[in-house]
Amino acid sequence: METDRPDGRTPNQLRPLVCSCSILHRSHGSASWAQGETKVLAAVYGPKAGTKKSENPEKASIEVIWKPKTGQIGKVEKEYEMILKRTLESICIRTIYPNTTTSVIVQVVHDDGALLPCAINAACAALVDAGIPLKHLAVAICCSVTDSGCIILDPTKDEEEKMKAFINLVFPNTIVSVLPEGSLQAGSEPMAHGIMTSITQGAMSVDDYLHCLERGRAASARLSEFVRKNIELKSTSEASKAG
Amino acid sequence: MREIQLPLSQTQKVRLQKALEQLESLSTKVNSDASVIIADSIHVNHEDGVLKGHGTADLNGEVVATLCGVVERVNKLVYVRALRSRYKPEVGDIVIGRVVEVAQKRWRLEINYNQDAVLLLSSMNMPDGVQRRRTAVDELNMRCIFEENDVVCAEVRGFQHDGLHLQARSRKYGKLNRGQLLTVPPYLVKRQKQHFHHLEEFGIDLILGCNGFIWVGEHVEAKDDMIEDQVSQSDSQVLFPNKNCVSLEEQEKNYTILETRKYISRAANAVRVLSTLGFNITLEIIKGIIDLSLSMNLDIHDMLGSEFCVLVAEKEAERRSSMKKRR
Repeated sequence: METDRPDGRTPNQLRPLVCSCSILHRSHGSASWAQGETKVLAAVYGPKAGTKKSENPEKASIEVIWKPKTGQIGKVEKEYEMILKRTLESICIRTIYPNTTTSVIVQVVHDDGALLPCAINAACAALVDAGIPLKHLAVAICCSVTDSGCIILDPTKDEEEKMKAFINLVFPNTIVSVLPEGSLQAGSEPMAHGIMTSITQGAMSVDDYLHCLERGRAASARLSEFVRKNIELKSTSEASKAG
Repeated sequence: MREIQLPLSQTQKVRLQKALEQLESLSTKVNSDASVIIADSIHVNHEDGVLKGHGTADLNGEVVATLCGVVERVNKLVYVRALRSRYKPEVGDIVIGRVVEVAQKRWRLEINYNQDAVLLLSSMNMPDGVQRRRTAVDELNMRCIFEENDVVCAEVRGFQHDGLHLQARSRKYGKLNRGQLLTVPPYLVKRQKQHFHHLEEFGIDLILGCNGFIWVGEHVEAKDDMIEDQVSQSDSQVLFPNKNCVSLEEQEKNYTILETRKYISRAANAVRVLSTLGFNITLEIIKGIIDLSLSMNLDIHDMLGSEFCVLVAEKEAERRSSMKKRR
């Protein structure tokens, strides 16, 4: 089994993660998320009053606008918009603000592979920054399958072009009790992880798909820890500064 | 809402970091055990019949947080106090809004809420102060009272079937003239008994709106204004203060002297410094920053520089630690 990758990573290793919040002045929430060279900037406006005609006014609706790095949006970007909208709708609590619209604008800064998971992570961080009520956080990850059946995580652009198939997965973030010893869950077993979004491209056998799920779920634990630590630090420092 | 984006030099960065760490150590004991992020489960005693408040949800019989913030418990009520969120109105709040629309019998105001607030014609005093029924002529003259993009101060009346209603039934509410409107995150403005402040030594008025809109303007005498107007002007002038005044007398009335304008800008920059640093905005802190800038003979635009912001952070750390020792 070949374990070497061009940038020196092991098959299960993610690229370095960088996340910044509150970087735009006029938006209600904003976040920038980078995985290696791939970077996405997300801004959230709203909730604003009113809904579009095609939407249900009894619930809050979410509008996603995808901005590519250059040029106009094509079919691929429209598909990304729809996937992102469905994912965000599933994590937001939409009954709290009826007849409102929340706009999420996703600007691609650079694309070096695994763009859609990076955008989902950035949009979730921006929603948290805007104070939108959410059921849980979402972490997204990309797995790919080589011709020899090897599974690697978080491929770059060059690796994506050589892959036989790849899959984008979105998992809910893990849940931690405020007082761990007071948790009502059985033992220390975390809640069962559900899959929120799963999109595959290329030819993939069922065994490969299940292996990708295993690897993706294991890697999402690290992503969850990163997101949680980031938000906790920010929340604590803001409360202490306000006084 | 932007984070601290000051062009700090290396020395200033170290000083600011030290001041913020001191502030964090002062409040870490209070906040660290209650901080939650989204989907954390909050431990409650289910036998007590706990009420789930804002920012919480029920998930498989367990209380989980839907916002990032601090858990607060008031008797049986458990809720999450979020920091970064829109303004949540409560009855009796003093808010400042901007008129976005003049509709039939009402004005729509933007108050940093997820829908526009409504100020009915019948919910406010007429400019001449006469208490009478509103007629069709008053409806036609609504744009003479408030027009689009005017800044209005009002009080939250409550939620009705068609949205949030405001009222302006006192002379201290109404249209705001000759000043600056600032926008800060709403969590920086605490609810207090007094939100109208008159800084006598500077001759300016300060209104801290609960929705994060802050008004700094020239002082207006609430009671004398009506008497004076009735003496010096005709009724039509009083009824329609928005009309364009061509006469020299009217222009002179709208003029603000340079000294007062400088104080207005200085107070506005003090609020901006506090908002940039993320500190609570109260009257004594604003006064302290103004006095600090005056004692240093600082220019008004230099108040927004990085050196003064670092100095304000250090002074705030000293103030809070001294208050802590005093207890």
